[in-house]
Amino acid sequence: MGLFTITVNGASQSIEVEGDTPLLWILRDNLGLTGTKFGCGIALCGACTVFVDGKPLRACSLPISALGKGNVTTIEGVSGPEAAAVQDAWVARDVPQCGYCQSGQVMSAIALLKEIKKPTDRDIDLALSGNLCRCATYIRIRAAIHDAARTLVG
Amino acid sequence: MSPITRRLVLVGTAAGAASLLVPVVVRSSIAQSPKDETAYEITDWIVVASTGEVTLGLSQPEVGQGSYTVLPQILADELDVDWQRVRVRFVTGKDAYKIAFKNEAPAQKEGASMSTTTFYERLRIAGAAAREALTRAAAQKWDVAVSECRTERGFVISASGNRLSYAELAPAASRLPLSTHPRLKEPHQFTLIGKPIPRLDSRAKSTGRALFGIDVSVPDMLNAAIRMAPSFTGAVVAIRNEPKILKMPGVHAVVRIAAVAVANEEAASEHPGLTSLSRDNAVCVVADHFWQAKRALDALDVVFDGGPQGGLSTAMIDGLLQAALGGDAAVPVVDIGTARQILRDQAASVIERRFVLPHIAHAPLEPVNATAHYRNGVVEVWGSIQAVTACQEAVAKATGCAPEAVTVHVTFLGGSFGRKIVPDYVVQAVQASKAVGRPVKLIRTREEDTQHDVFRPNAGARLRAVLDEVGYPLAVHARVAGQSLFGATRKSWLDQTPEGAWDESMVDGIYNQSYRVPNFSVETVDTPLPIPVYFMRSVGSTAAVFFWESFISELASHVSADQYAYRRHLLTAEPLALRVLDAVAQASNWTTPPAPGLYRGIAYNCYVGRGGRFKTYVAEVVELMNVGDRFKVKRVFCAVDPGLVVNPNTLTAQIEGGIGFAMTTALYSRITFSKGGADQKNFFDYPLLTIDEMPEVVPIVLPSDRPPQGFGEVVLAPLAPAIAQALQHATGRRLDVMPFPEAAFRR
Repeated sequence: MGLFTITVNGASQSIEVEGDTPLLWILRDNLGLTGTKFGCGIALCGACTVFVDGKPLRACSLPISALGKGNVTTIEGVSGPEAAAVQDAWVARDVPQCGYCQSGQVMSAIALLKEIKKPTDRDIDLALSGNLCRCATYIRIRAAIHDAARTLVG
Repeated sequence: MSPITRRLVLVGTAAGAASLLVPVVVRSSIAQSPKDETAYEITDWIVVASTGEVTLGLSQPEVGQGSYTVLPQILADELDVDWQRVRVRFVTGKDAYKIAFKNEAPAQKEGASMSTTTFYERLRIAGAAAREALTRAAAQKWDVAVSECRTERGFVISASGNRLSYAELAPAASRLPLSTHPRLKEPHQFTLIGKPIPRLDSRAKSTGRALFGIDVSVPDMLNAAIRMAPSFTGAVVAIRNEPKILKMPGVHAVVRIAAVAVANEEAASEHPGLTSLSRDNAVCVVADHFWQAKRALDALDVVFDGGPQGGLSTAMIDGLLQAALGGDAAVPVVDIGTARQILRDQAASVIERRFVLPHIAHAPLEPVNATAHYRNGVVEVWGSIQAVTACQEAVAKATGCAPEAVTVHVTFLGGSFGRKIVPDYVVQAVQASKAVGRPVKLIRTREEDTQHDVFRPNAGARLRAVLDEVGYPLAVHARVAGQSLFGATRKSWLDQTPEGAWDESMVDGIYNQSYRVPNFSVETVDTPLPIPVYFMRSVGSTAAVFFWESFISELASHVSADQYAYRRHLLTAEPLALRVLDAVAQASNWTTPPAPGLYRGIAYNCYVGRGGRFKTYVAEVVELMNVGDRFKVKRVFCAVDPGLVVNPNTLTAQIEGGIGFAMTTALYSRITFSKGGADQKNFFDYPLLTIDEMPEVVPIVLPSDRPPQGFGEVVLAPLAPAIAQALQHATGRRLDVMPFPEAAFRR
């Protein structure tokens, strides 16, 4: 057991936990932040995508001991113009079906739009192909990202 | 008119916590502000609060198909209520919420694309009866004739301009008898039905606030990880280091879990080789947190045996299949004319194709999990549960308590596709809770979820035909073999003949196919296996329609006929079939030759609901394009006749998603077996379609006067044969297996 102090969604949290515990399970079980989902446990499906210092990472495969002083942002705490544009576009397009993967999809889409203002279809393929959706909502995901990009450019 | 007694319901804190976007569950981590309000039940489906809020009951779990929006939309239209002021709650416990599937006792269950088909009338009547009761309550209050009153978005208004809200009328209306035959709206009066209403759950699902089974948290809850015997007939032989594991951080208990009859909706059905259930076939570790449980489970030294069928392998299964396809014994399903005689007499001109398809897994993105609390014969469960009644019965059977003592709370389901009808994972959670005396949330890892899915059965087919002098089928014989789904899970659904029983799901879309075939013979062979199987989106049609449409493609290409024209000719007597076929051909410009590097395939199916409950007509055109050294599915045109469409928005989503789901099946899905169990573990060996592979989809929804037909499953089946046909145009190669080999897409 070790005592880890981490910053999640702007708040400092002290957690006594074993160092091999993935960030995902600390978010879900210790902090009650269940918006970040468990899908595969080996960084293949993207359902657990969070930001660490603004960069998208798979929380299921990041042990707390490796997090260091990284600032964690989850779907519950994500904010800013890209987040608003993406989430509004997601709602306007009615992207989700079952919805389980969508936290991860939304996080990856926000990260993409922070990086590239006007992504091409190819950019979307590269940034989102690690986020699986069994309902195959991919058509609306793509359309919503383009919508959000247009909103942001104004 | 039959008076129905209704009680005044008090909606206290528990129900108050069920917000618009969270179906039921109270989360201990969220502080609740107690808000007592009086609410009145107008019908089984409608509760009106004194605050004016109208709660619409949803009895069909939301698995992604849109029931959370579409079914309340039907109720609200007839009720004539302000859509912006409704909230939706998941409801259980009344007969009104049950559906009778085929010959079974009525049950509350989402499945078989039945929700809208079954509940369309029921919800319209409920909404209209409530509106009538509210109107009568107002008329009595004002002492005027009912005919002088009308409703408008949550108010009753009299001819003289008096106006009372549904909230004000609810106490009186809740005491009035309900009409069983209320006057329903005329279609032109619909304000919600037929409109592309936005989903009610999109915001919650885009912001991480929607509550899924895996997110449930109840006071005093522990977490469990489970490892099941790799072999389907295996058992726990020994646990070698339990004392050491119990000392690991957070660990409370190591619990042996008794084998569960997986598809136990019907007592008569037990899997061959799984008949002896009185064994422990799994171990779970219960800990404070899930990771502690999983870490400890990984360190746990458990010895499993393989059991009586521990030698099961894919080679053995395929051997059985080939023997069944080539053997003498089979059960006749259809025998029209003299098909077999003609095939014998004209043996030299017989065209034959064989196909083999594997078992496949549902792979919902939310692995199966459940939260359970067992207390002295009373059980409460929470989670992603698709069949409420079956879950109650399974838990009752496993614990020895009465089904009424089992309360089921349904959350949003993180994908299901049929998987979460089977409550094996719920029963395991209940066993764990019973062992530790506290609520337990049990989560299967992806590996456990994949290896212990209830798979779609394998299937193989052998089809033979003789053509007439102008190239159309004169005689066709089709034999389909494989593990029978009904034989394994629903014996009462088998069709009995003097020669034996046959399983409709093995030949869905073949035995009841639409093409003109004057001499037609269909038969099946069941090859029983100890593999747990269950219904999966589109059930047998994902196999049978691939066989059948691929064979029609073969016959057309044999006489160098155009694939559309050939099908069209054979469907002359089927106007509804022709309508979708023509629509898809027109939308895809079929009669114009494709651009260089573009190859097309066309396929058709009429999806017949279980028990003949509905017929949805579907035709698809696939466009395949050269991309580098490969062919890629670029675009899919999909024409459908689904009857009346309650919500075009969610229907289109089902077309898009259904095509994507079918792409995964065609390209990737295959479960193999060795040592009695499944080999695949995670998305690296059981991949799903990714965004870069998703084709453009062009939906064509044909207007129809028919009532709503089933839809969630219908677009899947024609996709694979359409792709195969396009690939054959492109490469000359025939495809007789799924998933299609990667090499099939190389130029």
